[in-house]
Amino acid sequence: MKKITLYTILFLSTICLLPSCDKGFEETNTNKTLPIALDPAFLMNNAIIGSSAPAETMIFELAIVQQVITPFGGVLGGGNYNQDNKVRNQGVWVRYYQTVIKSLSAVINETATTKTGAPDRSNLYQSARIMRAYAFMVLTDTYGDVPYFQAGKGFSENISVPVYDSQEAIYKDIIKELESASAALNPAKPINTSDVLYGGDIAQWKAFGYSLMLRAGMRLSKVDPTLAQQTVAKAVAGGVIQANSGSAVVRHTSLYQNAVNGLLNGSEANNYFLAKPFTDFLFAKSDPRLRSMSVRYVGAASGPQQSPSRADFTPSVQRGMPMGFDNGTIVAKAKLDGLASFYDYSQLDRFRLGRIDAPMFLVTNAQTKLLLAEARVRGWVTTGSTAADLYADAIRANMAEMAVFSPASAIASADIETFVTANPLSVGNEIKEINEQYWVATLLNGPETFANLRRSGFPALTPNPYQGRDVTPFVRKLTYPDSEYAINKTNLNAAITKQGGDKLDTRVWWDK
Amino acid sequence: MKFNYKVIPVGGLKLPKILLAMKLTIVIIVATLSAVSANTYSQMVTIREKNISIENVLSLIEKQTNYHFLYDKRDISKAGTINVDVKNVSVELVLTNCFKDKPLTYKVFQSTNTIVIKSLDNLNTELSPPKDIIIKGTVSDSRGLTLPGVSIKIKGTMVGVSTDIDGKYSISVPNANAILVFSSIGFNSQEITVGDRSSVDVKMTEELTSLTEIVVTALGIKKEAKRLGYATATVNAQQISENRTVNFMSGLVGKMPGVNITPMGTGPAGSSKIRIRGQSSFGAQNSPLIVVNGVPINNTTFGVNGDFGGQGAVVSTDGGDGLSSINPDDIESMTVLKGGAAAALYGSRAQNGVVMITTKSGTANKGLGVDYNSNYTSDTPLDFTDLQYEYGQGEFGVRPTTPNPTSGVWSFGEKFQPGMTQVLYDGVTAPYEPVTDRIKKFYQVGSTLTNTVSVSNGGANGGFNLSLANMDNSSIQPNSKFNRKTINLGFNQKISQKLSVSGNIAYSSEKNTNPVVVGGQDNSTPVVIYTLSNSMPFDLLSSKRFDANGDEFVWSRFRNRTNPYMSSYNRFENIKRDRVFGNITAKYNFTDWLYLQGRIGQDYFSRDRDFNDPTGRASNSAAPAGFVNGRYTQEVLRSRELNSDFLLGASKSFKNGFAFDATVGGNQRYSSFDRNSVTVQDFVVRNLYTVANGRVKDPFYDLSEVKINSLYAAAELSYKSYLYLNLTARNDWFSTLSPANRSILYPSANASFIFSEAFEGMPKWLSFGKIRVGYSQVGSDNSVGPYANSLFYGVNNNLFPNPSGAAQPVGSIPSGAVPNANLKPSRVEESELGLETKFFGNRLGFEVTYYNKITNDQILASQISDASGFTSSVINVGQSRNTGIELMLSGTPILNKNFRWETNFNFAQNATEVLDLGEGVTEIVSGGAAGSNSIRQTVGQSLNGLYATAYLRDAQGRQVFDTNNGRPLRAPQALLIGTTIPKYVGGIFNSFNFKGVSLSGLIDFKLGHYLGSQTNFNLYRHGLHRSTLVGRETNLVTGVGVNQQGGPNTVATPLQTFYETVNTSSIREEFAHNAGFWKLRQITMGYDFTKMLPSRLFIKGLRLSAVANNVAILKKWVPNIDPEMANSVSDNQEGLENTGLPTSRSIGFNLNVRF
Repeated sequence: MKKITLYTILFLSTICLLPSCDKGFEETNTNKTLPIALDPAFLMNNAIIGSSAPAETMIFELAIVQQVITPFGGVLGGGNYNQDNKVRNQGVWVRYYQTVIKSLSAVINETATTKTGAPDRSNLYQSARIMRAYAFMVLTDTYGDVPYFQAGKGFSENISVPVYDSQEAIYKDIIKELESASAALNPAKPINTSDVLYGGDIAQWKAFGYSLMLRAGMRLSKVDPTLAQQTVAKAVAGGVIQANSGSAVVRHTSLYQNAVNGLLNGSEANNYFLAKPFTDFLFAKSDPRLRSMSVRYVGAASGPQQSPSRADFTPSVQRGMPMGFDNGTIVAKAKLDGLASFYDYSQLDRFRLGRIDAPMFLVTNAQTKLLLAEARVRGWVTTGSTAADLYADAIRANMAEMAVFSPASAIASADIETFVTANPLSVGNEIKEINEQYWVATLLNGPETFANLRRSGFPALTPNPYQGRDVTPFVRKLTYPDSEYAINKTNLNAAITKQGGDKLDTRVWWDK
Repeated sequence: MKFNYKVIPVGGLKLPKILLAMKLTIVIIVATLSAVSANTYSQMVTIREKNISIENVLSLIEKQTNYHFLYDKRDISKAGTINVDVKNVSVELVLTNCFKDKPLTYKVFQSTNTIVIKSLDNLNTELSPPKDIIIKGTVSDSRGLTLPGVSIKIKGTMVGVSTDIDGKYSISVPNANAILVFSSIGFNSQEITVGDRSSVDVKMTEELTSLTEIVVTALGIKKEAKRLGYATATVNAQQISENRTVNFMSGLVGKMPGVNITPMGTGPAGSSKIRIRGQSSFGAQNSPLIVVNGVPINNTTFGVNGDFGGQGAVVSTDGGDGLSSINPDDIESMTVLKGGAAAALYGSRAQNGVVMITTKSGTANKGLGVDYNSNYTSDTPLDFTDLQYEYGQGEFGVRPTTPNPTSGVWSFGEKFQPGMTQVLYDGVTAPYEPVTDRIKKFYQVGSTLTNTVSVSNGGANGGFNLSLANMDNSSIQPNSKFNRKTINLGFNQKISQKLSVSGNIAYSSEKNTNPVVVGGQDNSTPVVIYTLSNSMPFDLLSSKRFDANGDEFVWSRFRNRTNPYMSSYNRFENIKRDRVFGNITAKYNFTDWLYLQGRIGQDYFSRDRDFNDPTGRASNSAAPAGFVNGRYTQEVLRSRELNSDFLLGASKSFKNGFAFDATVGGNQRYSSFDRNSVTVQDFVVRNLYTVANGRVKDPFYDLSEVKINSLYAAAELSYKSYLYLNLTARNDWFSTLSPANRSILYPSANASFIFSEAFEGMPKWLSFGKIRVGYSQVGSDNSVGPYANSLFYGVNNNLFPNPSGAAQPVGSIPSGAVPNANLKPSRVEESELGLETKFFGNRLGFEVTYYNKITNDQILASQISDASGFTSSVINVGQSRNTGIELMLSGTPILNKNFRWETNFNFAQNATEVLDLGEGVTEIVSGGAAGSNSIRQTVGQSLNGLYATAYLRDAQGRQVFDTNNGRPLRAPQALLIGTTIPKYVGGIFNSFNFKGVSLSGLIDFKLGHYLGSQTNFNLYRHGLHRSTLVGRETNLVTGVGVNQQGGPNTVATPLQTFYETVNTSSIREEFAHNAGFWKLRQITMGYDFTKMLPSRLFIKGLRLSAVANNVAILKKWVPNIDPEMANSVSDNQEGLENTGLPTSRSIGFNLNVRF
């Protein structure tokens, strides 16, 4: 019995240690491999890199603007057929919300107020606001009304189904944000040297902010010329990008690759071609950029025959693929065009502009100058260079940019000047010519090309004639992702009702 | 290997020395070894009594040891009383002392633990029972296997013997009228009058269903089945080992009511998916807890969408689960505890039930035995395709006629005509003709060979079982293999009268070579084999694998559809797992009513894996100049699951018929998991897959740790042998939850009433009747991962240059899930009511159980709008219900000397309903893609609703087509097809035994659920599906329905464009099918050759069976595939069929030899 008593006492004393039933649990439940805090500047870098256009813009935007197309349907069907593609319409949405807005929300939350004793991060805060404006412009330009004021607050405010805001409200706020953030950038305050966009150069950030503001202003030229004019004026007064060195560019590397070009260098390497309207436009003007961008594998009877030995950059040899064909009908068309097969049409050269580590231009000197030129033509800007000079400088700037992709793309100064001289801005056709050049100068930044084409109506392309198209006119917006239909139904339906549908030919607010 | 059991002569007085050596401190291994030589006396006795009768002394010895006495009371009573004062001495010392001055002597029969006591008065010099008539004989079971340990007594006396290891006995009886009573646990007793025979051979018949059936319940506590107030299901060892599958669970499909087992279409080493009574939560993993010998093991699923998120070059292969390591030959018994009441003592992880596996550990007094088992099966892939073979490869109605066509997976070509040719690859001309039997042309006949040798021994104080096994499997997927070597040691040992130690240790070494990639396209053979065009010659596909550069020859513009020969022979994946799991238990009996048990168990494994994505595969992105593309990943992970527990138990019975049995205990669980991996992309040297050779190197490390501490108590109160009440309470503390929410206390109560024993005068035909009722709660952290409480940042492996070229860090928020610091445990409440009856001497049995299970406060990752920045949110809402009925009807319609027919029907119905999802929420998407097939939880509907995007229809239900181009239009909202969880699951088992030849068959079914078939979707859009024959002649299709204005649709659409609309518009309604089936699952035929063996042969038993598994589908509703071709273990992917490896039929044999 003694033993029993002893063991009972022992046992009871174990029970008595009950309060320690969760002893050490805090330590156990501490993540030892991931930090709970990080310098927001590094998240900012993630947002900047993420702002590069996603691969899906190849399926919709680049085809809608008739620059790069594929005859293939199925997963690649989209702008090339004037059809919807419910599997690939969410590229922009996913990239910007899940990466850019997610990171920027954290940066903005962290830096909005300077904590006592902490270093001043106001310049980081202002530049994050500018990047956020860039991302939301892409989102709303692509889809129309989108979640804006409540977006990106899944963690900070636990908003899991954000409401949609009207594009009008979004643009008005973006303009305010850009104005306020650009103005507030202050070179006297600490700068963020780890910044991968401008290395913390405040002047360049300011110019980028105001250039984006210029873009936002011009976007409203159809729907609200007054606001457009005011915005443009303020932006110009603030000071926009003046040189190619001030362009906002994501400098992709072999480790952080260009997603659009990833498609061109991966499974679809043989299947994308330059569109005939684009090559014809460049060729007609003897534009030297055609040689920089294009390659034709002369005589290629199949994908595997697109070998370097057949590569020909000669402008006169280039043949763009006509719009409106699929991989069935294009076979006969290629024969009719005197080609070995449709693999014989010209391609965006995947070893130069289409390089997997090619930079992605977000806002450039050339684009800014073209927008300024249009503003000058419209009389919204009355000082500074003339429209004609801006136009010529823009072309020079864009042609100079070609060297960035590859030495083989570089255009000799003499050739640039020859072109500029031969193609001055012609009176009466200013808006058309400026926006045609904008079309060329935004190549591969699909969302921007698409937006400006809708706004300006130039170049005056023929709507895609594909037999099986879903909509007859031009595509005016992309449809919302299916995930929103399932998860954010109520808010989405309200937005769709307000906009009058969610179809490829539904016009967004500024496109009325 | 014959082992002679010899009777130890009386008076082995040299033994006390050995006794002294045997101290409590003896280490376990020594104890185990001593079991081998258990012929020595090692049972000690302590008696301190005065004036005690010899008879009482004997009864005390019987209580303290395994010995029992055979004697004539008259002899003993003559001896009078004695004084005894011995402590820890051997039985024979006690007896020698007691009998010193008495006219008694004894003889120990070690093999049977029997001590015969005789009076010296009537002893004729020799110490043995009177030699009146010697009867000899052999006792065997109905199959002819000899039975050791059968007790044979002369009726009306205490005289008796037991059979030896060979089933033989010899007994003296006084005269020819003597009646011998043969009895053994699990068999019907037999009484035989000796008559004038000198030899009586007896065949014992098994009790049909033993009323004293012992069930291993929670914490390894063994209980009589009749005491339980909840439903369990058991499977015997032979069922597990005879007709087996590589993952043994997959072979148990349809055998247990309410237990839904789904074999994965992922090859030999794949996981099995087990769901008991449906699924309790909306989460992805509702697997039961796996307990081996009383201690939980790690059942992490490395299957597709399993517990383990891949890193690096993610490929979805199925690397098996925790059960993959278990050799079915080592299993002694398996019990499934279905309800919460059964599981209450295992806590949180038992909310989905518990699978209790007991492995062999040697049985006391069984003697030495050697067992050899060999099992071989050959696996033939099954082809359920019914494709169109009228129009061949091509697109838009044109066959390939120029080199390098890319229409490899399209069958929208021309109508086959004799003599037609096609041009493939770089100009090869091949006949344009149907290529049929694609499954058999590519997949091969696989095989599995398992050899197991086990040695067991059981002496007076314990025993052990040691087994060695090797399993070699080659998959139907070419070049894919699985090897498993296991060593299993189980032992139990009585160290002293009070202390016993038992334990087991299992080591397995598993090598999984090139498991098939499923659930995706790249590197996966199934998707390609099911979708490649119907005129593609396989020999060309094999011989033209590479182009001139050594890269994959592009044969389809869907480059993701990797050439299947490249996937099989140029991609590699090696998984090596070394695993040790086991536990050690020490039990100390303070008295005969109080014990303390301590146990520690660990399951540890390390798993090395490396795999490549081959250079030159067509859909790989080009590498920068100077490198070749491709990827390579090396990964090492370690997992540890450590459980320590103690149990203090007391039991007492009272004279008035009441008894109680109470236990209190505690458990501490620690599990840790860590992983290093590195993935490299692009290589300097071609075909050298090493980390050093890689251009981009992405290293990765993670670590997670979880602790759960628990205290629990259980009590059983019983009245007589027919009324039982069981109560439990458990408190868990979860390290994964916040301090305020981490503790949860939950109770259970159940009762059983055996009315057949409670009342006098029950009808004779009622053999057994029991009603049971139970209620339980189980709390759980729903396996919410550690660190789910806060937001973490990640720092990218690679830096990014700023404008001046200086490399800068890039950070991110890696998690797509919004963390939640306020999660509280979920709680499952379950009530169950059951009836168990047996009639006509157990020849007919009927069991029914009704349960109602409600899960509250579920923790789940609900998909949220990604405009929030995140894709899911871990939330703590929701209530769901599972109600169901489980039925079991068993009977023995025919039972006579030569023929026995047993039949068993089990059936489970399970209905689920989503009751609540939190305020204002009526639906959450828990799996799949909203724009195609998704799994959603909708309030008021069944759990796991399959939603498919649907065709647009007008108010009258007519399909609407695009006015412009005649293509089908899509409805704005997805259509609810039905639940993906089977509503009815069951099986019909029949077994026949005719003169020793046994034949059994199992038909099983799963009904009432749906699947969305990605395979049929692909077949349709590629023109292989028979439905796409409509419109072929004109190459135009005019859909039957109306246009957007409501008028009849008259617009003809090009054929291929029309059928591809299901892809571009993402419409899946067409491919949602009833997933139900009836299958002829198993046939087993066996014969026991034992009785034909010469008696002197060293082989003691031999049984050979022919087995067939997955024999045929009797009925199914989905075309072209086996509805069980699922490859994802996740409940959030259930019903989202995505082309798994074809199922296969296994035919083989099982040979069992005992020495």
